[in-house]
Amino acid sequence: MKALAALDALFEHRIRLGACVLLAKHGELTFARLKAQLQATDGNLGAQLRKLEEQGYLSSRKDFVERKPTTWYQLSDAGRAALEAHMAALRALIDASGTGV
Amino acid sequence: MTDVNKLQSDLDYISSALREDATAGGIPALYFLWGALIAIGFSLPDFAPQLAGFYWLVAGFGGGLFSWWLGARQSRRHGINNPKLARRYGLHWSLMGAAFLLCFLPLLLGRVSPEMGGANFLLVTGIGYGLAGVHLERPLLWCGLLMLAAYGVLITLMPPYTWTITGATVGLALFWAGFSRRAALRTAGGEA
Repeated sequence: MKALAALDALFEHRIRLGACVLLAKHGELTFARLKAQLQATDGNLGAQLRKLEEQGYLSSRKDFVERKPTTWYQLSDAGRAALEAHMAALRALIDASGTGV
Repeated sequence: MTDVNKLQSDLDYISSALREDATAGGIPALYFLWGALIAIGFSLPDFAPQLAGFYWLVAGFGGGLFSWWLGARQSRRHGINNPKLARRYGLHWSLMGAAFLLCFLPLLLGRVSPEMGGANFLLVTGIGYGLAGVHLERPLLWCGLLMLAAYGVLITLMPPYTWTITGATVGLALFWAGFSRRAALRTAGGEA
C-alpha cells in the first residue's frame, strides 16, 4: 500500500513521534517538559531524541533556567516536513481503512 | 499486538500527551494583580478623580510590563518557549490597550457623560476578556460574560458610583478566575 510505504520509519517509535508532535505544537520545549509530558524515562527519552537529532529532525541548545542547566529542543525544517508527510500518510491509511472518524 | 492495535495505542498515547497541557489556562498571580489594579483604578474617578490619569499611566504600563515579564518567566520555568503563542498574547492585549485609550477619547471630548464613559470601559473590557477566553485562556470567558452582564445592568439602571461598581465587578471576576485557575492547577498537580 502506498500510504504504508510513505510512513517514516523514524516516527514508528511512539516517543519519537510524540516528541515531534509536541514540539510542532509548542515551538521549543525542555528535556524535563518532554519527559513529563511523554511520561518517559531519562534514558529512553535521551536516546530517542538523539536519534531524531542525528537525523536532523531536531536541534537543541543549552541554557540556564534559574541557575539549572537546561536543554531546549526545537523541530528543524526537515523534521517539520517529515512529520507533516508522516501525518499525511497516517491520515491516508486511516481513510483507506474506512474507519476514519 | 497487531500493527493496527499498536498504531491505535501509539495515537492514544500521543493524544494523551497533548492533552497534558500545562500552558492551557493562565497565571493566577496575573489575575490577582489585574483584579486589584482594575478595582482600585476604576474606583478612583469616583473618589479621587485627580489621581486616576496618573494611576493608569503607571499601573497600565507597569502592570503590562510586569505581566509580560511574569509570563515569560513562567514559560521558562515550565520548559515551554512558544513564540507564536507569545505573539498572539501580545497582539490581543495591545489591541485591548488601544481600545482602552480610544475609550478615553469621547470622555476627553465631552461627547459622553462620565457615567457612560465608565460603562464603555466595562463593555470594552468584557469583549476583550471574553475573546481572550475564547482564544487564549478559558477562565477569562466567564469573566468577560460577567462584565458584559454588568454592563447591561449599568446601562439599564444607571446606579450611582458607576466607576466603582465597574471596577469592583471586573476585580471580582478576575479574582474568581484566579482562584479557579489556582484550584485547577492544584488538582492537576495532585493528579500528576
